[in-house]
Amino acid sequence: METPREITVLQAAIILISTIIGVGVLALPRIAVLAGDTGAPLITLLGILLAFFGLVMITLLGMRFPSQSLIRYSEVILGKPIARFGSIVIIVFFAVLTALTSREFGEVVITSVLRRTPLEVTVIVMLLLAVITTRNDITTFAYIHHFYSPLILTPVILIVILSLKNAEVVRLLPIWGNEPNGMFLGVLTVAALFQGFFILTMIIPAMRRPDRAMTASIWGMAIAGGLYLIIVIATLAVFGAEEVKLLLWPTLELAKTTSLPANILERLDAAFLAVWVTAVFTTLFSSYFLMIHAATELFQLRNHRMFSLFFLPFVFIIAMLPDNVLEMYKLIEIVGRFGLLITVVYPTILWMVALIRKKRGKSHAARKNR
Amino acid sequence: MQLGRIVKVLSWVFLVIPFLTGCWDRLEIEERAVVLAIAIDEVKPEAAKEERDVSHLSGEVPQSQKRMLRLTVQIAVPGRIPLGPAQGGGASGEKPVWILDVVGHTVEDAIYNLQQEVADRLFLGHLRVIVVNEKVARKGLQNMNDAFRRNPEIRRAAWMVISKGEAADIIKLNPELERVPALYLLTVLDGAVKQGKMPNAFLGVFWSALTSKGQEAYLPYVEIQEQKSILLAGLAYFRGDKMVGTTTPLEIGHFMAMKGINPGGYSALSDVPGESGAVLFISSDRTAKIEVEIKNGLPHAKVKVHIEGDLAEKSNAQFNLKDPKTIAKIEKRIGTKAGKAFEELIHKTQKQGSDILGIGEIVRGKHSAYWNQSIKTMDKWQETYKEIPVRAEVTISIRRVGMKAE
Repeated sequence: METPREITVLQAAIILISTIIGVGVLALPRIAVLAGDTGAPLITLLGILLAFFGLVMITLLGMRFPSQSLIRYSEVILGKPIARFGSIVIIVFFAVLTALTSREFGEVVITSVLRRTPLEVTVIVMLLLAVITTRNDITTFAYIHHFYSPLILTPVILIVILSLKNAEVVRLLPIWGNEPNGMFLGVLTVAALFQGFFILTMIIPAMRRPDRAMTASIWGMAIAGGLYLIIVIATLAVFGAEEVKLLLWPTLELAKTTSLPANILERLDAAFLAVWVTAVFTTLFSSYFLMIHAATELFQLRNHRMFSLFFLPFVFIIAMLPDNVLEMYKLIEIVGRFGLLITVVYPTILWMVALIRKKRGKSHAARKNR
Repeated sequence: MQLGRIVKVLSWVFLVIPFLTGCWDRLEIEERAVVLAIAIDEVKPEAAKEERDVSHLSGEVPQSQKRMLRLTVQIAVPGRIPLGPAQGGGASGEKPVWILDVVGHTVEDAIYNLQQEVADRLFLGHLRVIVVNEKVARKGLQNMNDAFRRNPEIRRAAWMVISKGEAADIIKLNPELERVPALYLLTVLDGAVKQGKMPNAFLGVFWSALTSKGQEAYLPYVEIQEQKSILLAGLAYFRGDKMVGTTTPLEIGHFMAMKGINPGGYSALSDVPGESGAVLFISSDRTAKIEVEIKNGLPHAKVKVHIEGDLAEKSNAQFNLKDPKTIAKIEKRIGTKAGKAFEELIHKTQKQGSDILGIGEIVRGKHSAYWNQSIKTMDKWQETYKEIPVRAEVTISIRRVGMKAE
């Protein structure tokens, strides 16, 4: 069962970017500002670094075992029983993450745009879209991300630049915040927004040159993280820390305040939401893809298609569990922080054990010469 | 085999049909009641009798919300909003807007009462101006801000203005220049911003200033002039969410100069030292910087302003502008006078503890150690602001004198 090796470094980086940028972008400034006042950009930066550390671990592992994904090589490193338990936890975690992503998406849509459409409909439509597209193979997966990425990146950058008209530098000061009370937890929550990077473990075995995976990681995290950082900075400079705390989705308000010059568009929130729906789709697509491929590999099946529909009801039910939007955010925070154990700590342990036990996968070059 | 193909095609058709039905939230434009402007006045609690039970049972209103508000709204009539200049009298008899008023305990309460009497769904996405009666503003805008922040249709770029006298009168005004009253009010405000008569203080700016710990909010203050036009009468400044005072129109210029907001749109008539005439100076461009130092446990602020501008008028032919000393003298004279006027405005706001300049924000940002130790909260800053010494330093540069040579 050989996966085709067709994904380039550029595509890998793009998959990372469009997977990471997702629902979280709307609430991110509020989360960061609640944790550290005007220190929000600093918290975001630390969160990015923490997430990047996890990504580096995944990449190093991937380069050590260039033809296997984490589900497989963890069995080599830790032995089957422990590794299988770990893999099940990963699958469950990503199922919950997918569910919460789609729920958050649904909440935003029915609060701000489609106010009379039932929540269930928006959520199930989005999930179905992900289910149908995940039936494709990894090459199509990469192409879909590649195709949408410019659509996600450019409008966001445009909105940030245009919004700076109303910005005031003094609102960013002092950079460490006046009352940095929840700094540590804030960093964890922000880092949790980047957990989509875990998808890389599925991509490396399909990369043309797995040895260059690190380049993709660095670029992917730099661009996605940079984008998140400028969004936090712009939101904070435009609204001020105290105002951001009052806004459920500061980034959306930023788009609402911003207008295109010369009265072309007086509020950009509609345009922004359209882009954001795409961004959410790519994120959901990735986490769903990760989930079903991990399950396929765990049960050593040939074809992942069977699972794509199988998981849908579970994910949907989990998505419907939170009672209201505030409870949902509470849950997202808790699940996100717990998730760091899986996406950052677990790979680190794997990597250290692999080093100690001197486990190594067959190198890419060796496989080629065979 | 043929049958199988037909079934296949049919099932595809049935699969596709649900996707062609369009949007769940479809709402045609003529089914919407587009609200262009809202005026909020306070009425006597007896007005509660006018109200039918729409969003609460009568008598079952929280004690704190016993006061009554009257909302006057302007709803655009579909098809009658002129797109461009009115064409030869034709439709002039038909009013483009429908003006309604309704009472309620809170803003949303009143809006629901209104919905009860309007056939179409109220749509606030095109709301451009919210006019609030001074009396309401002096009692606090907490409720309005909350309602408007929560509603996703309200745009942050809408205007909120404070009116002297009945807010409803401003909405009901029938101006000659525009056919839609709300749009006229909007033009007044936007025009004032472009001409440098007013800072661009839309709702979003107001809210940010309101929540900032080291800054107080301000809003445009308007007044009806002879039942015909709307006068921009100054800025209404707030302490917390309560309005505490107003400035004069010229003081808007002072405020903008101290904030360094361009373009400059105000002029100053000044005497010339040693001569008997006077000159009119028009500001065009300004830069400002507020410096704060902590001395003896109290912030000392210095507002440094540089104004560039032109001479527009000289009332006396006695003296000659060609002498460079004269220009320098005039510059100095205007500078000292402006500096005094600026300080006066600051003292006026200091009495009310309303730091509209945002000196507190600078303390918080640049002297955070001091802020964290002895200020921390908005209330504390409002008290401290009353006591801090503030100096204004103005330098003037006259760049042009118009088409006349001397």
